[in-house]
Amino acid sequence: MATMVNLTINGKEIQAPEGMTVLEAAKREGVFIPTLCYHEALEPEGTCRLCIVEVSGSLRHAIRVSCIQEVKEGLVVETETERIKKNRRLIIELLLGRSPYSKELLDLAARCGVVTSRFRTGEDDACVRCGRCVRVCRDQIGAYALCWVNRGYDRKITTDFERLSEYCIGCGSCAQVCPTGAIKIEDRGDERKIYTWGQVLARFKLEKCKECGRPFAPKKYLDRINEKAYKTKGLELVDYICPECVKKAEHRPTPVKTPFGGGGMPFVV
Amino acid sequence: MDIPTVDKILGKFPEVKGNLIGILHEVQNHFHYLPEEELRYISKKTRIPITQIYSIINFYNRFSLKPKGENEICVCLGTACHVKGAEKVLDAISGNLNIQKGESTDDMRFSLEEVRCIGACSLAPAVVINEETYGQVSPKQVTTILKQYE
Ligand code: SF4
Ligand code: FES
Repeated sequence: MATMVNLTINGKEIQAPEGMTVLEAAKREGVFIPTLCYHEALEPEGTCRLCIVEVSGSLRHAIRVSCIQEVKEGLVVETETERIKKNRRLIIELLLGRSPYSKELLDLAARCGVVTSRFRTGEDDACVRCGRCVRVCRDQIGAYALCWVNRGYDRKITTDFERLSEYCIGCGSCAQVCPTGAIKIEDRGDERKIYTWGQVLARFKLEKCKECGRPFAPKKYLDRINEKAYKTKGLELVDYICPECVKKAEHRPTPVKTPFGGGGMPFVV
Repeated sequence: MDIPTVDKILGKFPEVKGNLIGILHEVQNHFHYLPEEELRYISKKTRIPITQIYSIINFYNRFSLKPKGENEICVCLGTACHVKGAEKVLDAISGNLNIQKGESTDDMRFSLEEVRCIGACSLAPAVVINEETYGQVSPKQVTTILKQYE
């Protein structure tokens, strides 16, 4: 069992396993800390700075980023001091600068008492540079289709050489984890398009469902599922069946083998 | 694509981990830029995803994806050089070669770049051509200096 450490969050003494982040420990205690770049399924990167907290006790008194700060014996954490609230409001204003219409961000803004932003840029690309899309593509899917380019204000996500990606498998996880809708996935007829504000990242032809005939997933994606989820178990998928037909089939006595198992969640490979 | 050259460079780095920047430097020095096909080959050989390589190239100003001239002229526009009139030196070179900063001459003999502080402030205004550093350059000297490279 992991060693437990004692710390205080907002005056309450708690215990948390070593290696856990302050954010996770706070969440477990039901303490709300706003986050944007954090995602349960991804390695934290600490890019949005929204999750700042004030620490003291066993660490020098300072503002720290809670999603990458590990818990420590004797740590004293405060999540709602005046100083934190003020800085957090500033960060939200800065994030709103380019993403003024994102629902997730606007909800957070409302919750933290931010009404307008002094940093409107007029370049509303909606992206907050949180890097969730890059991380999910790299660490969870293993496709490495997305990357960062440039620095500072010009930093943006793109593909290699900023052209249609050869490596994208069309799973749509990037659009799924994006907190602002800056990456989009669109199926039209038998075509899938994944795109951002200024670039089409990838295009695919969709395979048809064997049951209902509806085009539903790109070949590359189905191949990947086959390889990762089936071949490892000595199975192989031959017929592709869409999630909807899977759901219907589940009520039948003999379940069909499908790429999506029982669930309708097509994003976890 | 020049595979032998790239292979030779890769051969110098038995350990790929932590050496990508070194590899890219050598490739850039040889070709005067980083050609796409060669980069894709490097990606395949080193098993470093091309997106990561592309990201790194975009991060550092030193790397270029556009072909550069055989002689790379870097005019320092850091604070000291700026104060000492580097702008005029840049203009003189630009006029002499008939190219703007960030461009290369049609015959690909020269390319012109502005840089921020090369750490030679005592020599301000400073100009670096390939590996050679010229200090206290006046606009008048530009023609003489460039002559050496023609
Ligand atoms: S596109 Fe979305 S997920 Fe990717 S960095 Fe921008 S806001 Fe984050
Ligand atoms: S959630 Fe911690 S920095 Fe974004």
